[in-house]
Amino acid sequence: MLQVMFGATVVADESQVDRVQLPVRRTSPVPVDALIDPTVDAAAQLLDDPQEWATFSRASEAHPGWIESNLVIEGMTCSACAVTIEHALCAMPGVQRADVSAASHRATIVWSPDEVQPSGWIAAIRRAGYIPLPANDSSARAARKQESRTALWRWLVAGLCMMQVMMYAYPAYVALPGDLSAESERLLRWASWVLSLPVVLFSCGPFFRNALRDMAQRRISMDLPVAIALVITFAVSSAGTFDPQGPFGREVFFDSLTMFVFFLLTGRWLELRMRDRTAGALEAMVNRMPEVVQRRQADGSFEAVSARRLCVGDIVRVLAGEAMPADGVIVQGTTQVDQSLLTGESTPVTRGVGTPVVAGSFNLSAAVEVRVEQVGEQTRFAAIVALVHSAATAKPRLAQLADRIAKPFLIGVLLAAAGAAAFWWSYGPGHALMVAVAVLIVTCPCALSLATPTAMLAGAGTLARAGVLVRRLQALEALAAVDSVVFDKTGTLTHDVLRVEAVDVRAGLCQQQALAMAGALAQQSLHPVARALALAGSATDQGKRWSAQGVVEQAGEGLSGSLQDAHSGDVIDGLRLGSARFCAPVTGDAGGATTHLCDASGWLASFGLAQELRADAAQTVAHLRDDGLAVHMLSGDQRAAAAVIAGELGIASVQAECTPDAKLAFLRRLQADGHRVAMVGDGLNDAPVLAGANVSFAVGRATALAQSQADFVVLGEQLLRVPQTLRLARRTMRVVRQNLAWALAYNLACIPLAVVGWIPAWLAGLGMAASSLLVVLNAMRLSTDLERAEG
Amino acid sequence: MDILYLLIPLSVVLVFFILAGLWWAIHRGQFDDIEREGERILEDP
Repeated sequence: MLQVMFGATVVADESQVDRVQLPVRRTSPVPVDALIDPTVDAAAQLLDDPQEWATFSRASEAHPGWIESNLVIEGMTCSACAVTIEHALCAMPGVQRADVSAASHRATIVWSPDEVQPSGWIAAIRRAGYIPLPANDSSARAARKQESRTALWRWLVAGLCMMQVMMYAYPAYVALPGDLSAESERLLRWASWVLSLPVVLFSCGPFFRNALRDMAQRRISMDLPVAIALVITFAVSSAGTFDPQGPFGREVFFDSLTMFVFFLLTGRWLELRMRDRTAGALEAMVNRMPEVVQRRQADGSFEAVSARRLCVGDIVRVLAGEAMPADGVIVQGTTQVDQSLLTGESTPVTRGVGTPVVAGSFNLSAAVEVRVEQVGEQTRFAAIVALVHSAATAKPRLAQLADRIAKPFLIGVLLAAAGAAAFWWSYGPGHALMVAVAVLIVTCPCALSLATPTAMLAGAGTLARAGVLVRRLQALEALAAVDSVVFDKTGTLTHDVLRVEAVDVRAGLCQQQALAMAGALAQQSLHPVARALALAGSATDQGKRWSAQGVVEQAGEGLSGSLQDAHSGDVIDGLRLGSARFCAPVTGDAGGATTHLCDASGWLASFGLAQELRADAAQTVAHLRDDGLAVHMLSGDQRAAAAVIAGELGIASVQAECTPDAKLAFLRRLQADGHRVAMVGDGLNDAPVLAGANVSFAVGRATALAQSQADFVVLGEQLLRVPQTLRLARRTMRVVRQNLAWALAYNLACIPLAVVGWIPAWLAGLGMAASSLLVVLNAMRLSTDLERAEG
Repeated sequence: MDILYLLIPLSVVLVFFILAGLWWAIHRGQFDDIEREGERILEDP
């Protein structure tokens, strides 16, 4: 974005977005210097305001008069860290209790507002070497905790009752004729019935609720046949218990019933746990310190307040390097702002008095005062979020494979049962009913309903171990059907920082020295090019030799100043670092991503900067192409810069200079042509496209908004996980289809046998268990290592 | 074998007692964070 300033066509589009993300700048991953960052102190002071700490605290239930606060702790690696933090907190006067969970990186602190302020215990945690953030997601977490407790409870009820019912059923299986007296048998059946009641009435609740909802909406999903099977099995078994001479015969199936429910609930509980872990990891990223803004008071001085407290008409001071807290108009000062967040345009624009600035744009060069015009929901940032939501609702939905099968299956089973009953009616209504029930029990869709979730859970577990979080299991199905992959450029295919690639120097000057001098000057600027130079300069062996004095930044041009040599004390005056025009000395190559250094006598050095491709980017694209996918690239950056990267990777289809809307439009065009598209991105301006794509990945240090919209979140920096996930998704769907085929074949083979009355009920129950087990074992084949699963 | 007529109903009652215990444990949060509580006993007070 600062290529204007430095006269270089340096690529730096979405990378800025990461830093200007609203409502405050990103806090994760942890910046190295966050522990000593003075702005963190200011933000911690803001938390002493009861209105601020109320967002992550509540009155303690167990200790009246105390406050219970939830925190997210960054920088924790093991359980020893949890101990350290707990001790540091408990040593604080006024802190009554502190519980730190090493697994979830969460802390709960019980404290008294009379004795200590939040900034006090926040400082205690930071002194211990960790970074606390207020957990603003506590209500979502509490809801999820309640949900997972209920799921665990349902599962345990089903499990315990299943074990006991099986004990009661066992004698009937092993007893020889005459061993078991009629009274004993009846007693055992009554006991089984009593223990099946909680399973049917409580544990099966979700199945019945979903089935009723589906019927109300005139849809058929897997829950409907499951619910029908449960009701019929329980009704027939109850009739067999209390009226053995009745039309339904004397067989009972309480053991099969409870086992079936237990299997189903095991799958659902595992699914919920996995989803919780994913959701927990993602929600943690919305936790951050309140954003501090400098608001002008009536007497003209400035006070630090939370951005949440801003009102229309307030005047705020925004320093260089800060994001605009709200949409507004500049009332004093002139600066350059980077608006790539909203426009995708990577060139910064100059803004003076009376010109508007938008929330989330990044103030690059000078402090300005801004009058707030719009806050919160009305800002342009909120408009992007709205675009995301509308894209998400328009997302193409894929009817789930199992549900597509459920409908004809259910209709077929009902027809077969009715047909069998009609056929046997002339032999006696009782026998006809019994045959119909046998058909319904034999076709109990146990294996069918386990086929999909077990395979997808196994696949998702493999992915989670490799650092890929799956937000919804159905995304695996969508991913397997994808035929195009669209990549975002900056931050996804490339690293999001610039790197010094080439150094040309005047004769007599060494490269290290030139870098060290440029770096010392560049340290005074926030410009991405300057930051890259400063980083390269400090890495040289002369990194500490030069100290800059009187550095002046000319917006859009470069830096000028003098350097003092720490060894000799010599001072070099009239140094300039910046664009060719600014330095006005350069011969030869004036184009390209080049920045120059010169002194009073002329040119000293030139530095070529480039974006660095991720190490595995080329391999990733090659793998995807081997798998028969079309690869596209989208970028908010300039055409030339995008073309260079695309050329290196061999991507033919490139769209450059894209706004978030244009990216979404490109995606819609692909989808309109009948393609199923996977989008891989990281930035804020990718979020609408991620939401609109058939399936989406957030990679690298993706912004929270991007991650919240992605179906798969790749933790870490490995782009290769994308083709690996794709291959695993395809394998998963193969296993799902095998499972479904097996379950259907089993059912189809059994229906005729049941119709003619050849399958006794106990054999039907055994067959059901065996086929379910086969399905589960087949799914377990997916639990291999992701790397080894290659090939 | 008459004792069965007492033991079987008793076992049903026992299951309900166990379920009540599980309910209490789950809703007191005993299963919310399994790892941390296991490690706590290894620490110095």
